Amino acid sequence: MNLEFIGDGPALVVTGEERNLVVADLHFGIEADLALHGLHFRSRSKARLERLLAIVDRVDPDGLLLLGDVKHSIPSLTRQEYVELPRILETLRDRVPLRLFPGNHDIGIERYLKPAEICAKEGSIIDGVGYLHGHMYPSPALAGHLMIAGHHHPLLSLRDEVGCALQSPAYLRAGVNNGALGMPEKNGTDAPTRVLFMPAFNEIAGYDILQIIKNPTSPLSRHILPDDTEIILADGTYIGPLYALIPDESD
Amino acid sequence: MKAIEVLDPRVQSCIRKRGFTVLSDAQKEAIPHIHRGDHTLLIAPTGTGKTESAMFPVFNALLSMPAGGGFRALYITPLRSLNRDILARMQWWCSELGLTVGVRHGDTPPAERRKQALSPPDLLITTPETVQALFMGKRLRQHLAQVRFVIIDEIHELAGSKRGAQLAVALERLHVYAGEYQRIGLSATVGNPEAIARFMCGKRPFSIVQVPVAKNLQIDVRYVGDDFKHQTEVLSRMLKRQGSTLVFVNTRVTAEALGHALFERGDVEVHHGSLSKEVRIDAEERFRNGEIHTLICTSSMELGIDIGRVDHVIQFGSPREVARLVQRVGRAGHQLNTVSRGTILATGFDDLLESLVIAKKARANELEDVVAEQNAADVLANQIAAIAVEYGEIERGKINEILARTSLFSEPGPLLEDVCRQMEEHRLIRIDGTRIITTARARRYLAGNLSMIHDERKVPVFDMVSRRTVGTLDESFVVGWVHTGAVFITKGQLWRVLEIAEGKLTVEPAKKVTGELPSWEGEQIPVPFSVAREAGGIRRTRKIKDYTSDADSTAYAEKFLIEMDRNRSLVPTDLLITLENIDDGVVCNVCAGHKANEALGRVLSVLISARYGTTVGLELDAYRILLRLPFGIRAADVRDLLLSLDPAHMPGIIRLALKRTALFKWKLVQIAKKFGAIDPDADYEKISIHRLLEFFDNTIVQHEAYRELLTGYMDIDTASSIVRLIGEGEISVALGPHSLIGAGGLLSSRDQIPPPTADQAVLATLRRRLEQDDILLCCMNCRDWKSRTVVSRVPDRPQCPKCGARLIAALKPYEEESYAVVKKSRKTAEERAVEQRLLKNANIVLSSGKKAIIALSARGVGPENTSRILATLSDGDAFYREILKAERNFIQTHRYWS
Repeated sequence: MNLEFIGDGPALVVTGEERNLVVADLHFGIEADLALHGLHFRSRSKARLERLLAIVDRVDPDGLLLLGDVKHSIPSLTRQEYVELPRILETLRDRVPLRLFPGNHDIGIERYLKPAEICAKEGSIIDGVGYLHGHMYPSPALAGHLMIAGHHHPLLSLRDEVGCALQSPAYLRAGVNNGALGMPEKNGTDAPTRVLFMPAFNEIAGYDILQIIKNPTSPLSRHILPDDTEIILADGTYIGPLYALIPDESD
Repeated sequence: MKAIEVLDPRVQSCIRKRGFTVLSDAQKEAIPHIHRGDHTLLIAPTGTGKTESAMFPVFNALLSMPAGGGFRALYITPLRSLNRDILARMQWWCSELGLTVGVRHGDTPPAERRKQALSPPDLLITTPETVQALFMGKRLRQHLAQVRFVIIDEIHELAGSKRGAQLAVALERLHVYAGEYQRIGLSATVGNPEAIARFMCGKRPFSIVQVPVAKNLQIDVRYVGDDFKHQTEVLSRMLKRQGSTLVFVNTRVTAEALGHALFERGDVEVHHGSLSKEVRIDAEERFRNGEIHTLICTSSMELGIDIGRVDHVIQFGSPREVARLVQRVGRAGHQLNTVSRGTILATGFDDLLESLVIAKKARANELEDVVAEQNAADVLANQIAAIAVEYGEIERGKINEILARTSLFSEPGPLLEDVCRQMEEHRLIRIDGTRIITTARARRYLAGNLSMIHDERKVPVFDMVSRRTVGTLDESFVVGWVHTGAVFITKGQLWRVLEIAEGKLTVEPAKKVTGELPSWEGEQIPVPFSVAREAGGIRRTRKIKDYTSDADSTAYAEKFLIEMDRNRSLVPTDLLITLENIDDGVVCNVCAGHKANEALGRVLSVLISARYGTTVGLELDAYRILLRLPFGIRAADVRDLLLSLDPAHMPGIIRLALKRTALFKWKLVQIAKKFGAIDPDADYEKISIHRLLEFFDNTIVQHEAYRELLTGYMDIDTASSIVRLIGEGEISVALGPHSLIGAGGLLSSRDQIPPPTADQAVLATLRRRLEQDDILLCCMNCRDWKSRTVVSRVPDRPQCPKCGARLIAALKPYEEESYAVVKKSRKTAEERAVEQRLLKNANIVLSSGKKAIIALSARGVGPENTSRILATLSDGDAFYREILKAERNFIQTHRYWS
C-alpha cells in the first residue's frame, strides 16, 4: 500500500489493489453557521467543489472516499444545504463512484445518497486500510490496521527562534491503545493498530494539534499513544515526532 | 464692537448683557463673513471666542426664521465632553433669545431623544456619529430638511481621519434633504487651511479667516536631565509661582507617575482618557474654580473644553509635533491680546534637540499639514450601507452624485463598484443591475457601526499559573496574531498562549524567545520627518545657540556631542546614517522620523529575512531602527543591503513585508468589520481566522488595509527618497562602534518580520529535529567501538577512540543489532549484505563527515539516499530541502505505513 499526499487538498491517494482518493471534512454549508457567529461570507461551496473536482480529474481514482462531515449544520439541513447538497453529490457521483463514512455533521444527508454509498459509521476496511470519520469508537474489525480518520481538523503551528509562526494543515499519525478502544489486543496480522488523522478539506476548519492532544474530545484522540505520534504536513513533508514540538522551557 | 452692529438689536443687547465690551480678533474678522452667508473656516487659538464668532450671526439668522418644524442649525464637535461644555454655554444665549437648544449623542437618554423627534430644537449640538444616526429615523430625516447652518468645531481633529471622511459624506447626504446650507468650520492653527476648507465644502467657494497665533507665543525650552526624581523637583519648583498651570505629557503612564510624585503638594490633579468621566469632570471643575493650581493632562485637554484661566503651559518631554505644541501652549493666557507662555522640559539628548526644533518651527508658524483620508474604501462601505438603509433602494448613480460633491472621493465610480461588490459578498447589500438594495442585516450592521472609530473589544488575558487577569489586549490584535502556542509581551512580561476561548486568552509565563512582539497598547505620537531631519541637522552643525539662549541646554547638548567625539563615535546626522553592531543585532541611526523609519525598517527586515531565512525583530523611534538579528548578520551586511537597494522597488517590497505581520492582520480585521464581513461581537473560536483572512486576498478590503498602513502608519515615499539620496551620495552610510546616540532613545517594542516563505519555519523545525536525534556511531575498522549520542554533539570528523580510524558508520538507534551482526566471524549471505550496508555507510561518513551523519539521521534515509543527497553538493537550506524531499518520498511508501 502506498500513500500519496495531495497538498492542495488536503487529500490522500491510497493505492493498493484499488486507487482511492480520500478527503475528510468538506463542511458544505459552513457559511450559514459562520453567519450565526458573526462572520458573513457568501457561500464558497462552488469554489470548494471545483477544487475537489480538479483533484479528482488529476488523480483519476477508482473511487472517492469521503471521511465524514460532508455537510455542516446539525441537527438538521439548513436552507443553504437543502439547495446545494443534491447538486454537489450528483456532480461528484458523475465523475467517480463515491462512498461516505458518515460523521457527526452528516445527519440528514442519507436522503441524497444511495444505500451502497453509505458505509458504517464505526468504520470498515477497504483494500486493507481502515476508514472512518473518527467521532466514535472504531469497529473492532479495524484492529491491526492503519485507520484513516477525519473529524479532528489538525492544524500545525510552527515557531522559529524569534517566535514567529507558520500555520498549516497537517496529518497526525499515531499508534493507539487497542484495549482502551475495545479492540482485541491480539489480531491475525500481528501488526499494531495505527490511526492517521487527516486535515480538513474545508479551507477554514482547523484545530491546533497541541489542543487535540491536550484536550482530546473523541475516543480515538483520547487513546492514541503520545510517544508514538508523528506529524506530517499536508504536502507529505515529514515534520517529526510530536514530543519534539511540545515547548521545552528547560533548555 | 463695530462688527456686531450689523446684527439684530436683540442679539446685540444680549451680547452686551453677557458683558462683552470688546470683540476678539477672531470675532471681529469672522462675523462679517459669516453674516454675509459665506462658507467660512475660522482658524484661531483655543479660547478666543471662536464659538461666539460663529454663533452670533447664526443666532441673528435664526431669529428671523419661523419657529419649530425642524433642526435649524447643527453644531458638531468631536467629543461628548465638548458637547456638554458647548451646551452649557449655549443655554444662556438661547433662553435669552427665545430659541431652543438640545444635545444629542450616545449618552442622551431615550426620553430626551423622543422629545427631540416630536419637537426638534432650533439648535442641536451633536457628534459626527450621532449625525449618522439622525438619517436612520423617518421623522428625524424630515427635521433635517430644515437645516440652514452646520457648524463643525475642532474641525482639524476630524479632517485627517476616517471619522472626518464619514462626516464629509454625511454633509452631502444632508444636502439631499436640506439643499445648500451654510458651513462654518472652527479650527486650531494648521499648516494647510485650504485643504481643511475643501474638506468641509467640497467644490463650493469658501472664505478663510485666520487669526495668527505665533506672534503671541512665547516658548522656552529647558533641559531638566534624565533623572525622573530631578525632573519632578524642577517641575515642582516651577509650579510654586503664582497662577494656574497645565502640564501636558505624552502618555498616560507619565501622567500617572508625575501625579503620584507631586501628590503631596495637594494642589495637583491628573486628567487623562483612562480616568472615569466623573473623575475628569471633577478635576476640570476644581481647576476652573481655583481649588487646584495644576492639572497634569494628556491630549485629553487639547480640545477646547473650558477650564477657565490658564497662566502657563508646561510641556513635559518633547511635544513631537509643532501643531500639538502650538495648540497646547495656545491654552495659556486666554484673555484677549495676552501672550501665551509655554515651557518645554526636555529630558534627554534626542528630546532636547527635537524640542528646540519644534519650538523654533512654532515661532515661525511652520505647522504640519492635516492630510485628509482620500478614497477610504471602508468609509465608503459604511456610507453605502447607511444610504441603503436610509433609502431602502437607490440608484448607484445617486450615490455617485453624493460622493462627487465631497472633496475626498475624486473618482468615485470604479471604487464604488468594487466596494459594492465586496459588500454583496458579505450580504450587507444586494445589487440589482444599477440599483443598490438594503438587506435585513444592514440596519443591524449600522447600529454597530455608526462610528469609524475602531471600538475595540478588550480581551482579558488570564494567567493560568497565578490564576489572575494580567491585562487586556485589543481584540483585533488577538485575532490577527495570537494563536495557541504564540508568545507575546504585555506589561513587560513574556506570555505563552494556552487557549483562546469564551472571549478570554489563557496564558502562562514564558521564559524563552528573544524577540519581542507588539503590544498595541496605545499608539505613540509620531515625530514628523521634517522635525527629525532638522534635529539631525543640529547634530551636524552643532549650532545649538541658534535655537536657544538657555545656557544649561546648550552646555548639555555640546557636552554630549563632545563625549561622542571623545569616544571616537560617529555622530549620525541628517546627512550621515551610521550602523552599529550590538549583541543581538544592528542599530541603524537614521534621522527620518517615525513613519519613514517604520517603512525603511520594514523594508530592511523583509530583505534580511528573505536572504537569510530568519525572522527579524524590529524596533524603532524617530532617530534609529534596531534590527534584532540572529548571530552572524552584522552591520556591514545591513550597509551592503542599504547601498544596493533600489528605491523604486521599495513600495512593492513593503507590501510583501506587511502581508504576514500582526499589524496587517490587525488592520485587515478592522476594515473587514466595516465591510460587514465580521460583526463587532463575532466569535472566532471554532475556525482558523488566519485562513479566513486569506479570503480577502486581492480584494478591496486588502487594498484598503495596505492603503491605510502605507499612508497613515508609515511613510514609504520619504523612506524611498532617503534611499535615493544615499544612492546619489547626498546621504552617506558609515559603520561605527556602538555609541551613546545609538544606545539612546526609548525603543518601543514593535513587530517582527517573518521570512516571506513558509518553508523557512519547516526547515528550522527539521534542523532542530535532526540535531536532537539520537545516533549510534560504530567503528567499522576495529569493529569494537560504538557510542550513542545526539547529532548536535558529533564532531565534524568523527574518529574511533580505540583504533583511531575514521571509518565510522552512523546508525539509527534501532539498527544497533546490525552492528552485532558485523562482529560475527561467520556470516550468512544475508548478514554479509548487512555488513556491506554498514561499510557503505561508514565510507560516506569518511568522505563527507558530519554532513553525512545529519542526512543519515533523517527518517527513512539510508546510505543510498544519503549518497544521492550529498551528490547534489547542496549546502545550507538547499541541503536540508534535499533531506525533506527524501523524507517525503519515504513517507509515501509502504515501508512507513506497515
